[in-house]
Amino acid sequence: MSIQCVGIVTSLTNGLSEREANDAITANVCKGPQQHEEVCLGLFALLLTEPPQAQRCYRDLTLVNRDGMNVILIKINQILMEKFLKLQDVCRTQLVWLVRELVKSGVIGADGVLMTLMKQIAGGDITSKNLWLAENVLDILLDQREWVLKSGMLIAMSVYTYLRLIVDHGTPALLVLRQKEVDLCIGLLREKFMECFIIGRDLVRLLQIVARIPEMELLWKDLLHNPQALSPQFTGLLQLLTARTSRKFLACRLTPDMETKLLFMTSRVRFGQQKRYQDWFQRQYLSTAESQSLRCDLIRYICGVVHPSNEVLSSDILPRWAIIGWLLTTCTSNVAASNAKLALFYDWLFFSPEKDSIMNIEPAILVMHHSMKPHPAITATLLDFMCRIIPHFFPPLEGQVRQGVFNSLTFIMEKRVLAHLAPLFDNPKLDRELRSMLRERFAEFCSSPSPPTEGRDEGESVSLEMDNHVLLDKEDGCYDNTEAAFSDDEEEVNNKGNKKREFRFHPIKEAVIEEPADITPYVDQLDDTMKEKVLQLQKGSDTEAHCEVMQEIVDLVLEEDFDSEQMSTLASCLAELFKGHFRGDVLPDDITEESLEESVCKPVCLVFRNLCQMQEDNSGFSVLLEMLAELYQKQPKIGYHLLYYLRASKAAMGKMSLYESFAQATALGDLHTCLMMDMKACQEDDIRLLCYLTPSIYTEFPDETLRSGELLNMIVAVIDSTQLQELMCHVMIGNLVMFRKDSVLNILIQSLEWETFEQYSAWQLFLAHSIPLETIIPILQHLKYKEHPEALSCLLLQLRREKPSGEMVKMVLSRPCHPEDQFTTSILRHWAAKHDDVLGEHIKALLIKNNNMPRKRQSLRSSSSKLAQLTLEQILEHMDNLRLNLSNTKNSFFTQTPILQALQHVQASCDEAHKMSYYDCEYEEPSSKPPKSRRKAPASSPRSRKGAVTPVSNEEESASSSASEEEDSKPKAPKRKRKGSSAVASDSD
Amino acid sequence: MTTETHVKDIKPGLKNLNVIFIVLETGRVTKTKDGHEVRTCKVADKTGSISISVWDEVGGLIQTGDIIRLTKGYASVFKGCLTLYTGRGGELLKIGEFCMVYSEVPNFSEPNPEYSNMDQMKNKTVRGNDTTNGNGVNSQGSGSSTTPLQGGRAGSGVGSRANNPGGTTVNGKETRRSTKR
Repeated sequence: MSIQCVGIVTSLTNGLSEREANDAITANVCKGPQQHEEVCLGLFALLLTEPPQAQRCYRDLTLVNRDGMNVILIKINQILMEKFLKLQDVCRTQLVWLVRELVKSGVIGADGVLMTLMKQIAGGDITSKNLWLAENVLDILLDQREWVLKSGMLIAMSVYTYLRLIVDHGTPALLVLRQKEVDLCIGLLREKFMECFIIGRDLVRLLQIVARIPEMELLWKDLLHNPQALSPQFTGLLQLLTARTSRKFLACRLTPDMETKLLFMTSRVRFGQQKRYQDWFQRQYLSTAESQSLRCDLIRYICGVVHPSNEVLSSDILPRWAIIGWLLTTCTSNVAASNAKLALFYDWLFFSPEKDSIMNIEPAILVMHHSMKPHPAITATLLDFMCRIIPHFFPPLEGQVRQGVFNSLTFIMEKRVLAHLAPLFDNPKLDRELRSMLRERFAEFCSSPSPPTEGRDEGESVSLEMDNHVLLDKEDGCYDNTEAAFSDDEEEVNNKGNKKREFRFHPIKEAVIEEPADITPYVDQLDDTMKEKVLQLQKGSDTEAHCEVMQEIVDLVLEEDFDSEQMSTLASCLAELFKGHFRGDVLPDDITEESLEESVCKPVCLVFRNLCQMQEDNSGFSVLLEMLAELYQKQPKIGYHLLYYLRASKAAMGKMSLYESFAQATALGDLHTCLMMDMKACQEDDIRLLCYLTPSIYTEFPDETLRSGELLNMIVAVIDSTQLQELMCHVMIGNLVMFRKDSVLNILIQSLEWETFEQYSAWQLFLAHSIPLETIIPILQHLKYKEHPEALSCLLLQLRREKPSGEMVKMVLSRPCHPEDQFTTSILRHWAAKHDDVLGEHIKALLIKNNNMPRKRQSLRSSSSKLAQLTLEQILEHMDNLRLNLSNTKNSFFTQTPILQALQHVQASCDEAHKMSYYDCEYEEPSSKPPKSRRKAPASSPRSRKGAVTPVSNEEESASSSASEEEDSKPKAPKRKRKGSSAVASDSD
Repeated sequence: MTTETHVKDIKPGLKNLNVIFIVLETGRVTKTKDGHEVRTCKVADKTGSISISVWDEVGGLIQTGDIIRLTKGYASVFKGCLTLYTGRGGELLKIGEFCMVYSEVPNFSEPNPEYSNMDQMKNKTVRGNDTTNGNGVNSQGSGSSTTPLQGGRAGSGVGSRANNPGGTTVNGKETRRSTKR
């Protein structure tokens, strides 16, 4: 494209004098927009590639362009965002020169281009190319100061960028550059503080990291003690710390390439498959000492900018916390690690549910939650950090920081990121000291029952209660620090909590029946007819009468002149009036047709019934959905009540899909989220109902359920063994499918984090299906000795029923050798007894393959850390364990022809070290010592089993031919070896 | 425009293959008798992984994480394992990096007993034949003037562009051939 344009320009100007050339170009530009663009881009391309012509080209450009350089600005932005890394040095130099010229000419939009250019300066990179760019952009900013001061965004962006880059430029060789950077930042901060203020709290974070530089120290003094000196509108640090950082700034410190790769990881890569991508990213951006500082930028970016959709969140895509965990675990310097932790918790410190997003604080809690099992040290260090940051972040603001952290934790539970914090805070994997510190600081989160939160309206009162707790506990905590005293405290807190809850529930319960005043704030907003009906509902207590009135209300709503503005008010009234229906069990104790029909005869169900009877294209249908959506906002339990109705009521037969329409009509807006929320609510209220709903949910919404480890965990976390058995029967009868081939592996991998009974239940349910074991064999790579006993034992018992396949044998042999880990030996022994010929062939294939490629190894779906790698030594070690185990039995596994051939093959090519360790045990021992069982058996068993002589000789041929291939590379060794091997062979004859 | 073959559809004996894959592992270098460097790389697309044998200097330019388009490749069995090669006039072109979803399983280059027999037969028949020899390049490489003609394989040399008989890629774009780092 550009090349064609260059061609056009050169052909226009070829052989002409400057003036003539200018005329020719101008004339061409006048022909139309296409010609205009071609000429501009042609000049642009020439300018980039031919430095001697650059001046002239730029002058021509300024003369002929008719769009305020717009075409050029767009092109520059495009190159910067997509191809900057690929530009040749000449082009880079020219591009920076051009941007400088554009700035000098004051072209409108040049500030945007300059900001894009700034984005190309990589953090944590002090290679000369990057330094060159940092310095050149800095020079533009310093030289064109007056122009810079005109653009607020450019000021803020420059300050954010260079405050960050100062961190990288601390070595003596770079001090001159750093001084210039400091001068720029200090100048802008002092002169235009309110422009910099728009950055938000991350400005403080950056200033903290560079606070030791003398000029910065002075600035800090003013920030803390004399804020007005910076700007009359600035009231102090707290003002800045409570301002959320705009995504623009968090994103500006990542180059487009880093951004693309991180976004790819968080939107496309499946959980469990991230290892290589992480390695590649690390190789490119995080492998040097100076790159440590980049981690903070990445963490801030992930917390503040990468906010996946609900769809992605509920899928098996690599979650954000896993990336954070990776960034934390691979941190090599202490300073970087503590900065990284601060970056992770930064939005917690002054969190306010109104201004801040749950997405910003979620990664920290989830990385702590999920690391508890695999990396308890990470969870511990983060919890420790969370405790200590409260008093240490900034002592004068300790109260605010504590409130921020409490707000975060409360919001996390309210939003159900985690239902309970007690398992996290009071976990036996944490050491006692840390646990007691957590108990001291977060007593109310350490006790199991979560505060009752019904809808958002009550959020405020809950957090007020929290405040009281904080004060109380602090006082209590001061008295005594012994553990016993604390557990007493906890009980007390529990009791208090319970009392409070009762105290709060009572008036509400009574209000429905006895205190009609409760709906007065709403009822007056209704028009008269509706008001009358609602008041009727309030008075009577007879269910049938209620139902009749309810039907009348529904009819009113469906009338054409119903004012939809009233819907929300009406919903508030109904939610309040029917509060009683949503308490207590839904499912009748004895499930019979009659009892089920009776249970769906509540007034609320009338709305459901009307919905079921209506055609979807009827305009009333959407009105009713709207009504339900409004009710759902006031009373979330209505979601699972609807599911129950659709399942239980005869009137709703075959109408389960109505729930999808309902989900889409709610504020949540999508089926998956809605279903998960409702099942969660159901799980908390009524476990029997959860089990009752499970088969139809799985049947009706396979796409939402079958891939959801979350849902399965919800179920197995609460069921008892009877319910488990019932579900298994449903599966075997064919009423229920809970696993599908394509997703079962991922779900089982997720289940490794669950509690023991939960895991066993998941396996039982899996086994009730008849999915081939092959599908889930790769899970073996995730199973660590001692860490995953549940899965290992289930798998062991299953493998034992299978005939070994190549993949199974490989996976089994891939387990790292550990003296106490008997898994591999157990299963090999079993197979050696039952399927010796098949096992022999598979082992032969593996031995020969691994022998041929000494350092190649398989690593399949890797999780995070080290992966099982199949090496020759490993196979041999497992084989040796098996041999030792079999030595006192009559098993003749090791005398089978394929095994002997394979071992000969290995022997023929392995190096001395291997030979030393394995040659002896595999060959010398049997032949030198009394042969015993192993020697005798072969003469009869392998031959007689194989039946004929021919296949054996065939195999020998192939073995020797593959050995002869080896000769190419190792001409000497094999000869000698082959003698040895033939001796063995003849011996066995 | 030629269509791309998925890794799962690669079978021994197929020729003229266009495949887009991401490089997962680069193997060690081995030298052939006549001095060629050979690397075996593990590559994958969303359907599975396979080994590709890369010859001479191109092999040194390939990094894991590179997304590469192979044109005019062929597949054959080497030591019982299905292996991909660059054919006559074919090339390897880096078209991106990192951002490609892959599946490492199934690995189609696992030793397959079915192939072992074919391999032997093939080696016998092919040794005399000069189109392929299980190494992909050797036979053509002997003629000194033809080597640069193997285009993509010879790296980013200018000669290879001009003479590239594959001709499917447009020259001169930034995205072209940038395996150099």
